[in-house]
Amino acid sequence: MKLGTVIGRVTLSKTVKSLEGGRFLVVSPFSREQFAAGLDAPTSMGTDPSLVVYDAIGGGPGHVIGYVEGREAAQPFEQSTPVDAINAALVDEMFYSPWKG
Amino acid sequence: MLLARVEGNIVATRKHPSLDGWRLVICQPIGADGQAEGAPQVAIDSHGAGMHQQVVISSDGAAARKLVGDEKSPVRWLVIGVVDEHEPGVRV
Repeated sequence: MKLGTVIGRVTLSKTVKSLEGGRFLVVSPFSREQFAAGLDAPTSMGTDPSLVVYDAIGGGPGHVIGYVEGREAAQPFEQSTPVDAINAALVDEMFYSPWKG
Repeated sequence: MLLARVEGNIVATRKHPSLDGWRLVICQPIGADGQAEGAPQVAIDSHGAGMHQQVVISSDGAAARKLVGDEKSPVRWLVIGVVDEHEPGVRV
């Protein structure tokens, strides 16, 4: 699971059957600097490219979420589904302290 | 599998039900010299890894699903061990 900031939403009018009813979020992956800044810092963009994440637990713009990438993202679905990133957790609190050597 | 250092943890109330009760630790992948490499990953931890301890994390989703006991879980990364020594006699 990686952390990222939700920076937008995507709406699809026509989708694969198994994805109907789901929501899609545009997520900017957390950089190390954002981990260090914490959750209370102003919303900012990471350095890595943003991605679209399937969401079934109710994330929205401004939230920090934990998303899973890869084959495992399709695991919660009943039938095989073309999804490779899924929102697995809405982050409430984060404790982070980088190691300084 | 990646060598990583534990640099924190997260708390999430709304999450996939399979993650209930699991410790979620922030693991920073590192090289042999201990320097950070790439973005941190959040992994489930059943070993009680401590802050700034070196661990090995695995991206084996099948093993992670077996560990949480839910075939429908999206979980992927798990802490599979805590590093004691890099080579015999050299403690980290």
